[in-house]
Amino acid sequence: MSKQTFSFLNLSLVTGRTIIQGTLVEDKLTKNYLEHVSTLKLNPTDMRKLGLKNGDKVELKGPGGSVVVKVRAAADVSEGVAFIPMGPWAEVVVDPETDGTGMPGFKSIPVTIVKTDKPLTSLEQIYREKEPILNLGQTFEREAKGEIRRITDVVCPFCGSLCDNLIVEVQGNKILKVMNACPLGLTKFMKSHENRIPYPMIKENGKFVKVPLEKAIDKAAEILVKAKYPVLYGWASSSIETARLGLELAEIVGGVFDHCSTFCHGPTALGFHEVGMPKSSLGQIKNWADVIVYWGSNVSEAHPMHPSRYSYFSIGRHRKGRKDRKLIVVDVRPVPHARHADMFIKVKPGKDYELLVALRLLVQGKDLEVPEVAGVPKEKVIELAEILMAARFGVMFVGVGLTMSGAKEKNFEELFLLLHDLNKISKWVIIPMRGHYNVTGVDLVTIWTTGYPYAVDFSRKYPRYQPGITSTADIFLRGEADALLSIASDPIAHFPRKVAEAMKKVPIITIDPKWNLTAAFSKVVIPAAIAGIECSGAAYRMDEVPLRLKKVVDPPPGILCDEEILRLLLNKVKEKLGVKP
Amino acid sequence: MTELLIRNGYVIDPLNNVHGEVMDIGVKDGKIVPPDQIDTRYAKIIDATGCLVVPGGVDIHSHIAGPKVSAGRLLMPNDHYKIGRVIRAIPGVRRSGTGKAVPSVTNIGYKYARMGWTTVMEAASPPLYTRHTHHELDDTPIVDKGVNLLLDSNWFILEYIENKDQARVNAFVSWILRATKSYAVKLVDPGSAEAWSRGVATQPLSIDDVIPGTSLTPKDILIALATAVRDLGLPHPIHVHANMLGLPGNYITTIKTIETVADIANKRGLSIHLAHLQFNAYKGDSYATMLSAAEELAKLINKLSGVTFDMGQVIFGGTVTMTADAPWEYYLYHLAKWKWVAKDVEAETAAGIVPYKFRRYVYTNVIQWGIGLELALLVKDASKVVVSTDHPNAGPFTRYPQIIAWLMSKKAREKEMTKLNKKAVKRLSLPAIDREYTFEEFVISTRVAPAKIIGIEKIKGHLGVGADADIAIYDIDPRTFDPSREYERLIRAIKYAKYTIKDGEIVVKDGKVVKTTYGRTFYVEPPSDPKLESEVLGDVREKFKEWYSVTLNNYVILNEELRKIEPIKTY
Repeated sequence: MSKQTFSFLNLSLVTGRTIIQGTLVEDKLTKNYLEHVSTLKLNPTDMRKLGLKNGDKVELKGPGGSVVVKVRAAADVSEGVAFIPMGPWAEVVVDPETDGTGMPGFKSIPVTIVKTDKPLTSLEQIYREKEPILNLGQTFEREAKGEIRRITDVVCPFCGSLCDNLIVEVQGNKILKVMNACPLGLTKFMKSHENRIPYPMIKENGKFVKVPLEKAIDKAAEILVKAKYPVLYGWASSSIETARLGLELAEIVGGVFDHCSTFCHGPTALGFHEVGMPKSSLGQIKNWADVIVYWGSNVSEAHPMHPSRYSYFSIGRHRKGRKDRKLIVVDVRPVPHARHADMFIKVKPGKDYELLVALRLLVQGKDLEVPEVAGVPKEKVIELAEILMAARFGVMFVGVGLTMSGAKEKNFEELFLLLHDLNKISKWVIIPMRGHYNVTGVDLVTIWTTGYPYAVDFSRKYPRYQPGITSTADIFLRGEADALLSIASDPIAHFPRKVAEAMKKVPIITIDPKWNLTAAFSKVVIPAAIAGIECSGAAYRMDEVPLRLKKVVDPPPGILCDEEILRLLLNKVKEKLGVKP
Repeated sequence: MTELLIRNGYVIDPLNNVHGEVMDIGVKDGKIVPPDQIDTRYAKIIDATGCLVVPGGVDIHSHIAGPKVSAGRLLMPNDHYKIGRVIRAIPGVRRSGTGKAVPSVTNIGYKYARMGWTTVMEAASPPLYTRHTHHELDDTPIVDKGVNLLLDSNWFILEYIENKDQARVNAFVSWILRATKSYAVKLVDPGSAEAWSRGVATQPLSIDDVIPGTSLTPKDILIALATAVRDLGLPHPIHVHANMLGLPGNYITTIKTIETVADIANKRGLSIHLAHLQFNAYKGDSYATMLSAAEELAKLINKLSGVTFDMGQVIFGGTVTMTADAPWEYYLYHLAKWKWVAKDVEAETAAGIVPYKFRRYVYTNVIQWGIGLELALLVKDASKVVVSTDHPNAGPFTRYPQIIAWLMSKKAREKEMTKLNKKAVKRLSLPAIDREYTFEEFVISTRVAPAKIIGIEKIKGHLGVGADADIAIYDIDPRTFDPSREYERLIRAIKYAKYTIKDGEIVVKDGKVVKTTYGRTFYVEPPSDPKLESEVLGDVREKFKEWYSVTLNNYVILNEELRKIEPIKTY
């Protein structure tokens, strides 16, 4: 091992979810969250090269800009790779350029790190604000009165796994206990009363003023009607009933309807347009799959229940648990579930496409003429190809590791073609690991209403679709949008800083249960009830299985569900435009 | 609610013995009433002088909603963007939409209404995903609808059949139809999904082949489900996409399929509805030598009273094929070589999607085109024939007017045949068929027959008092108009109805949508023996944990999840 010390290091930055980020994501302005997302994880060897200790500070420079963050050594990060959880600090550094896909470069970003003594970049510095960023979130006390009710078969509104076996114990209006949930789901239920937007408000002269709901709706409608090219973004953390109304609203105001797919599996859809793919429901995996591949997916931190409910630990009709299945993990870093794997393939960041091409060649019976592909030795690639071909029922779970890096949508075209070829020899299916619990549902409702999955532009009164042009990041980068409706989402915190800055320049309407960064920069803030906890509705799991969300407790007094708010807003817009409702 | 009086129209209403008479039709509260009950001072009067007035069209088999339709939409962005295929929004009047072969829900509702069709049955929906199908149907404007439920490869049913426990098959079918708010029992290439899930679907399954992993043959499944349909008194007989679809020589399997269930008629005397029969009427041993088996099948269907079919008529041009017959779609992918989607559903079924183009110069495609028309023209009784393209498999439903022109005009057929592969045309018997459908037969095969086969003829398919006020008014006068010669005008008239009235409201005027309404979803609530059902459910609950990835309670669809539902009586 090299003892030489360096003054700087060129690394490949990966941004992503972690379990802590996931549990705190709805309470963004808390100290824990801010500290967690401003900490860079490095491989111990890389730490040594720069002479860094845990807690030291480095300047992180990337295509989007530079920030000063703390570092921490982590074994689950490979040498040459740096990891930072998604959040404001990551968004400064990432590449805002979408390469015509609508998806900024969030992974495999070339960055430079230098040890520094400069002070940590603050949240205010990131957003170039002089005043501290407001936090008006309040805790709403739920009353525990009367008998304890036990509600079964509750669907968890957190991630795309959409576990539907939760048991929630409720007394009066208070959630006492949640069983069968992972830490992410558990926090969502147990902290559902914290950090809530307390009442509707409008920003006047830089200050938030409490207003009646009608007035907030009226103001929001006014913004949307006045705007020439509003963007309606979010939707994936609400029910499809809400999205349906959102599509009608976008159509009437001639805006753009876009949702979180633009940011997670948008490129998967683009690959699907080209060649299509063999899909399956998750139960089919449980019953049949004997080879399971996770490619670019940090399942144990983003979808903690996925392995036991649907995948390698699950017990189905013909396959009984881990012993009947082979697990293969392909990733740029040894993600936590790699320790369960029968085979871990460490691929060079951004080089997945090369590996997929090599696998296709091998599956087609051709030979590799190079000693290594994407950092993987030839022998290992051959071994992997042989396992894939020998499977009786194989499944690829693909995460955003593949959509956000390297060849983006071309990764998927190649992956799907690999699966087409593999199906000649054995049987293979693919399931994208969707993040938000209802992002699949919003995809689908957009597809059946407009024919297109996301980034749908209604400016000509009919749906048009061109990711890279009509997708949120690109519209804001070009400075074309003149209003933003953010619903059940926090775009300012998660879009690259350049996009977030463009967003800050237009009037923003936020409809969300929780106070977040987007709310802090909004013109109109309307509190909503939480779908799946305080409202019912429908949501679709990552394999497109539709489920019914349950209402387990009442929302805070006076606070309506997204669906009702949208209906009021839609009617108000219609009224202003003189359309009969 | 508005009252309407349709005056002086030339009415064809075979179910009420009106075979072409000038008369008035009254509409009140969404239903048809005697014209003298209409108060002409307040009612809207439609002058239908010189126009053909018929009941709203009924489509018995069309893939308009559900997981595979949306996957088809996502697969084909190239189908949506062309200007001629989009509908612009007019706020307050209509929503926007896109697409031709796989249109968006709005385009589906509007384009059916524009042609005068007001009821459409979704062809196939896997039970686990039927909530999705309902979501889409709820968003489909204007038309009434219902769901055919895929039950042919359901593990519970297969297990009950293996145990020769018909009573439990019945109880399960009854429960699942209620639990998913579905209308009819659909079989698609029985048994193929099981072979596909095991990855051993290398050979097509014939009706007598043993299904891998079971001791059953497709025949056993056909008999068990036909019996369940009969015993439960379902209005619609089993709806079958027979084995060996699309393969040369498959007509023998089709004949065997018909013969297997011919004696198991439901209480309305119907034993089987063959979906898109054209795809199952091939002779020959390869695509190069494929021939029409329409004569053989027509002969059999003419003989049997309980057998009906829809055409699955091929329309030349590009389309998207989608069916719950995954092995066939994978095979087709290797013929079409472009895009392929498969979708497996746990314990239930497996589907596939492949875009395909029917070409006028391709021998096989021309034979396929001829078979659809031959079947419709050789079967003597038009009430056994339903016009369909198996939308979008053989072509989009928007081409129904063209099919009707081919059926009603020999000239139109001859003109088309001049453009086709000559070798194929020579081998068809179509050029020798002189029959031309009359206007009454047109009404029967697009309205009366499907309504009767589906079992909704009390409210649909006629214009008698008490029927739903679903009416199409076309700008042609059968007394002076000769469809045989003026087929192009016929196509135009049907494509753009002068008026379409749905539940008593004018939704289309002069070929343009003027109002967006939302129809009802039909479903059945078959009877069941509570004791047996609780036993079956106990059994299901136990296995569900292992076989499925959702809980049993979440599998069941509640009434309030749907926009407007209406149970249809069982017998």
